[in-house]
Amino acid sequence: MTTRLASGAVGLGDRVILAATIALAIVMVLPMLWAVGLSMKSNAELLVDTNSVLKAPWTLRNYYDILIGSGVFRWLLNSIIVSVGMSLGVLALSSLAGYGFARLEFPGRNVIFVLVLFGLAIPEQAVILVRHQLFSDLNLHNTYAGLMLPGMSAPFGVFLMTQYFKAIPTEVDEAAMLDNASRFKIFWRVLLPMTLPAQATLGIFTFLHAWNDYWWPLVSGTNEQMYTLTVGIASTQMNFAESAGLGYLMAQAVFAGLPILIVYMFFQKYIVRAVSGAAT
Amino acid sequence: MRRLLATLLGCVALASCGVHQAPNEIVVQRFFGTCKAEYGNRTDVENAEGECGIMTTLINEFSAQNPDVKVRVSPVAWPGYNQLAAQLASGDPPDLVTMHLSAISDYQSRKLLEPLGKDLRAAGVDPNGFTAASLASVSKQGEIYGLPIDNWAPLWHINMNYFRQAGLVKDGKPILPRSPEELLAQARQFKQATGKPYFVQALANERAAYSRNLYTLLMQQNVDFFADPQRVQLQSPEVKQVLEMFRQIYVEDLTTKNQDYAAATNGFINGAGGVYLVGTWMIGDFDAESRKLDRPLSSGYAVMPWPQLYGRDATFIDGHAWVMPAKDRTPQQRDAIFRLLKFVADNDFEWSRTGHLPAYQAVIESERFNALPHRSEIAKISSTGAPLPSDVQRQFPVQDIIGEEMAAAITGHKSVDAALADAEHRVNDLLFHLL
Amino acid sequence: MSTAAGQLSELGQARVQPARAGAQQSRWSHLLYAAPFLFLYVTLLVYPLFAGFWLSLHKADFFGGSRFVGFENFVRLSNDNVFVGAIGNTFYFILLTVPALAIIGLGLALALNRTTRTAAFLRGVFFSSSVLSVTIVTLLWKVVFAPDGGFLANLFEAFGKQPVAFLSDADLALPAIAITTIWWCIGLPMMLFLAALQQVPRELYEAAALDNAGRWKTLWSVTLPSIRRTFALVVIIEVVLQFQLFGQAYLMTQGGPNNASRPLVLFIFEVGFTRWDVGYAVAAGQILFGLIAIAAMAQYFVARRKEAF
Repeated sequence: MTTRLASGAVGLGDRVILAATIALAIVMVLPMLWAVGLSMKSNAELLVDTNSVLKAPWTLRNYYDILIGSGVFRWLLNSIIVSVGMSLGVLALSSLAGYGFARLEFPGRNVIFVLVLFGLAIPEQAVILVRHQLFSDLNLHNTYAGLMLPGMSAPFGVFLMTQYFKAIPTEVDEAAMLDNASRFKIFWRVLLPMTLPAQATLGIFTFLHAWNDYWWPLVSGTNEQMYTLTVGIASTQMNFAESAGLGYLMAQAVFAGLPILIVYMFFQKYIVRAVSGAAT
Repeated sequence: MRRLLATLLGCVALASCGVHQAPNEIVVQRFFGTCKAEYGNRTDVENAEGECGIMTTLINEFSAQNPDVKVRVSPVAWPGYNQLAAQLASGDPPDLVTMHLSAISDYQSRKLLEPLGKDLRAAGVDPNGFTAASLASVSKQGEIYGLPIDNWAPLWHINMNYFRQAGLVKDGKPILPRSPEELLAQARQFKQATGKPYFVQALANERAAYSRNLYTLLMQQNVDFFADPQRVQLQSPEVKQVLEMFRQIYVEDLTTKNQDYAAATNGFINGAGGVYLVGTWMIGDFDAESRKLDRPLSSGYAVMPWPQLYGRDATFIDGHAWVMPAKDRTPQQRDAIFRLLKFVADNDFEWSRTGHLPAYQAVIESERFNALPHRSEIAKISSTGAPLPSDVQRQFPVQDIIGEEMAAAITGHKSVDAALADAEHRVNDLLFHLL
Repeated sequence: MSTAAGQLSELGQARVQPARAGAQQSRWSHLLYAAPFLFLYVTLLVYPLFAGFWLSLHKADFFGGSRFVGFENFVRLSNDNVFVGAIGNTFYFILLTVPALAIIGLGLALALNRTTRTAAFLRGVFFSSSVLSVTIVTLLWKVVFAPDGGFLANLFEAFGKQPVAFLSDADLALPAIAITTIWWCIGLPMMLFLAALQQVPRELYEAAALDNAGRWKTLWSVTLPSIRRTFALVVIIEVVLQFQLFGQAYLMTQGGPNNASRPLVLFIFEVGFTRWDVGYAVAAGQILFGLIAIAAMAQYFVARRKEAF
């Protein structure tokens, strides 16, 4: 929303706002630039003075070391499997349940729905210790299922999908029923495709939540092979007797952050649309 | 529909995937850092330096010599006990894990560790060859629960070049204080002559170091602060004295500030101060540093135990051991585990090149150990060193609480009296509420 | 909406009676749609919550064994300085982050609510930090805040000043974590506000322009009132989110110095996994639940009252 002066030129106020925003953007990017800079210096040089980031020589040695020996690739794979898996699971379960609550009658439906809504207020930390014991008894730790299931019990997705299904006019159902379609077919062929925006929103939210999750993977995926990216990167940060070197650590962080940033850059439009969709 | 079901089943199958352990594979979990970049698959133990390097090459060499066994190494952030607790609770712990001697009883008393005595002897490791301190620390109720690999102690690592500058060297040996007053005096003298702080300390994000220094100085004053293993007594003049001394050092800028462990270690290497308060595990690294040219520590490194500032010559000590969490294992795995333990036991000398004190009497008395640089200066710790009483439980959480309160007092966030009162209250609360 | 559909369905009822009747019939088989989710919901959320209530009345060891002690854990919590401090820290942290996130998010949305490529690029920059995981964020900001060779330390020294040790100063530790968090989380509020701004009817702006309203007047009287609901939504979301602060405190300061930056969730983690005092930890978890529920409900009612419809 720009204010146009009588002359039609863009106002001074706008210039100032733009400059301020650009300055803020630079501040936003600085920590990432610093990390990239550190990652391109040898550990020995950084030991003496980190200002050496600004002076030559720079090196890709840390990246090479990561390629040959770091666990970051396995961590990345685990994170992808868990995040994608959890997102698909949430989409499937929430869509089914959302359709059920929005369109179908069954005994106690309304009461159950209200109880599900209450679950929105339950924070993960209030149940995590009992969940941990439960999963221990069921031998679910250090499995992908163990990392994915807790996220699939959250009611947010069901709430979102129920609202979305409710917003679709019932004429659509009725038109399909004229063709003698079964309930499931109506759901699968007709209504579900209409919920794509909600699916995108829910999918992206769930993916990011799973990608960022720290506490649960920390205590459930304790075997090094099951580390997600968050846990793996965190394991390099506690610094008693740590011998990996600052440049190496930063290169590892860059390695860990780059894939998701690239994905973000390519899917920016859809992500933005999905997130904005949540506001409406 | 069929495709849908097939996909569903496929997903469930993938999801229940976890980590599979082959029947001849053992999982070895340890702290000591990661150094894959430098040491990767190297097996030349004799050339390795530092805890990470030596431990990595040792295990690599074992793997090379035992191709029928697969060893999966899992380095964890120190001390790794939160993770171990989660693993033990989930029933999926590693096969061998490094553990401090002071923590063994916590797990052993909950039946989480397996006794090792019988199989160790069968593999050729004689527990009677351990040093007395090590044997005592791993023996619980007449059984052996760990293979000790070292004893360690907090030490004074000294930059002799600065000490010389400050006039604190005599006959090639550093002049050390013999009382708290002398400590302050020498520290001031040092600062005046060199412009650098006397101490280099990790004061930020640190808890263990504070407690260990405190325990040492309390032992020197013959204070039995755990006379009752379920109650700590910290509100006494002796304890207050120690905190006030450290506080005074902090106030007068006689120590580096705001450094965490990594920064303090790097700082000492880069010449930040005169005395770095850290333990035996850095001797190897600092000695290697002192052989480089044109560095602050070049030809100027010495290490001494905590000087006797009070009535008794004593140092707090702890140590490391390999323990075996309780779990069902294949005979191949058990065989592999004890083969590895025997290998580690046989190579305790190599491990002691880090600076840690060996856990075997034979190694301590050996010529090649005593020929290692600086070992003669710290040799007396074998007799002056003592751990906390073995029936004090949860020593690590206790150490964290005491360290946190000490940090608050020394850095001026809290009065010494308040810190000691809170530390005592919190530790006793913890110990009282143990089931 | 519902009334319109109701009318239409009445119309349709006459023609498609048989199918309609089947749809209205309440069937157990319909429960199958919700069953998978409900199964997970009950076993992984409801059961642990109630089991937690019960467990918080016991003294329990992490590795097994428990003893019923009634409300002793809660009494202990009220006398525990560290716990009370953690609650204070959590509230203080919310105060530091939520207004900033809402206001800065709104400001950025207002500034970048245009279709130029620059604006699109800048929006991308501000959202990019949100896709990084918390442990990468803490790694980046630790090397920014480090007093020895950190980015800010080098900057300070370049200007001849003494570096400030943010993470080891009791007064600065939590604000430093707050800055890290704002940097990390600013994308979401900005996007939510952008979406809301784009929903504001153009007629309102045109009417304001006709009245010769200046930039500020338009902002104050047209824009802000129109996005009130989104503002409330952002605040609620961020409050619930920041109540759950954990990773940043655990990795950057471990709760120190002197308990200055220990949030409630870190307390629960430490008591459960380090001190093995499970009953005590779960009791603290119940209190966290209670606080979040109260905060969310309070905001909901305040927002409800403000909407004078």
